[in-house]
Amino acid sequence: MPELLDIQRDFASSLHDVGAAAHPERWLMGDEFLVEQRLAIYRANVTAAATKALGAAYPVVRQVVGEAFFDGLARAYQRLVPSTSGDLFDYGAAFAGFVAEFPHTQSLPYLADLARLEWQVHRAYGAEDAQPWDRQGLAQVAPARQSAICFAWAAGTAIVDSHFPIARVWLIHQADFEGEFNVDWSVRERALVAREGFRVVVSALDAGDAAFVASSLGGAALGASTEMALAADPGFDLGHLLGRLMTSNVICGFSINRDE
Amino acid sequence: MKTLPTFAVGIGLRQPHYREVFERAPALGFLEVHSENFFLDGGASMHALERARAAYPISLHGVGLSLGSADALANVHLAKLKRLVDRVEPALVSEHLSWGSLGARHFNDLLPMPHTREVLALLTERVDRVQSTLKRSILIENVSAYVEFRDSDMNDTALLDELARRTGCGILFDVNNLYVNAVNFGFDPRARLAELSPAAIGEMHLAGHTSVDGCLIDTHGARVCSEVWALFEEACRRFGPKPTLIEWDTDLPALDVLLGEAASAAAMARRTVEVSHA
Repeated sequence: MPELLDIQRDFASSLHDVGAAAHPERWLMGDEFLVEQRLAIYRANVTAAATKALGAAYPVVRQVVGEAFFDGLARAYQRLVPSTSGDLFDYGAAFAGFVAEFPHTQSLPYLADLARLEWQVHRAYGAEDAQPWDRQGLAQVAPARQSAICFAWAAGTAIVDSHFPIARVWLIHQADFEGEFNVDWSVRERALVAREGFRVVVSALDAGDAAFVASSLGGAALGASTEMALAADPGFDLGHLLGRLMTSNVICGFSINRDE
Repeated sequence: MKTLPTFAVGIGLRQPHYREVFERAPALGFLEVHSENFFLDGGASMHALERARAAYPISLHGVGLSLGSADALANVHLAKLKRLVDRVEPALVSEHLSWGSLGARHFNDLLPMPHTREVLALLTERVDRVQSTLKRSILIENVSAYVEFRDSDMNDTALLDELARRTGCGILFDVNNLYVNAVNFGFDPRARLAELSPAAIGEMHLAGHTSVDGCLIDTHGARVCSEVWALFEEACRRFGPKPTLIEWDTDLPALDVLLGEAASAAAMARRTVEVSHA
């Protein structure tokens, strides 16, 4: 009697490689034609599950290229990077890199950056909820120690830097977007992805704000991050940025870096 | 942990119906969700599940654990399931008599298994491990299939019944899946009911399917057909009333359609009991 492992190996290779050397039909009832017809049902299910998961993670890319093209893109991606987890929320992490290299998407040079943005939005959607925190403590930090403040950021917060207006493109494709649909393609955008409550918010940051957030997210203290921001934009307004990020709870705590 | 009354009838809770279910709060015995949709750390989905849990008993129905994989059980997946079970304290936890992954590759589908002593031994060990990890019993569901293995030496129903006897797990009897297989492989589904011990049945599933080139495909995208209703009636007579779920995943209709199907299932279960007591 065949070992289960042998049967599953043959079954598996017939699912992801049509015309493979494997012959699952030797384990299965019915003639070759019937078996092939039935295996095609499983093959279609496997493709559909991955395509649906990828479409859920990249809804704006899907809208931009159209459903039919996206389905083809998903099949090509799946051949190269198949699912490895029973949790399909994990599927699609390498899609932006794939899009950047794919010959038939080269006419949309911003598409890979848009995909990078959507992956961060996808991760932020399921990120841990930020807890309320005591802002009074921040005001009580002695002036001499303030440059050593390290902010805690809400889980899911990310910066996606692009040569294209990707935050704008993302925004106008949202179902609840109201306003003009024009896009100024000459604008370079640094998109901030942040969870505000249960909602994932995408906004464009100017150079100074983006430099501060990227530095602070990377673990640098307030003093060093402010220097980065001022280098990028001499007009950087720290108070304005912190006010906005704390009101929305994107900054959700702090500690003092003892090394400084 | 809440236990469900035997007459409890529920529906699969899917994202497009969240708002309406919370606002209308329909009279349902429980809600069932796919476990894997809630493996997240937080956010809107988890919040919706918290709201559902506050109003209804929850059944966690897994589709990705791949209990029947010959090589290994995914420990990461099991750990995520444990975290969710601890968080939700569901009334029911279920998985399938199937496999879906091999090596690094996951097919994210419920693939069929030969029904052999080897498979029974493997599943016994896996179910034992899952139950000891989760510190609770689980239900295992019969799946619909499009191919049959030459080397099977028992039916899936007999295998499930023996698995339940060995591990103490329950059986999630999917009436539609039995019917789909009966048509696809040409057997009498009624005869299979006799292979299941009534006491082991912890839940029943009802769903719709579609027919393509003479093969029934389990799409969960249509109303329950009359043949499946008749088989459900027979199952109620044989097993007594059991928590029953209307499962609908593709081409999701208005919530009222699901509630109508749920009401039909509840009425049929009651009628069956009244007749048998008359």
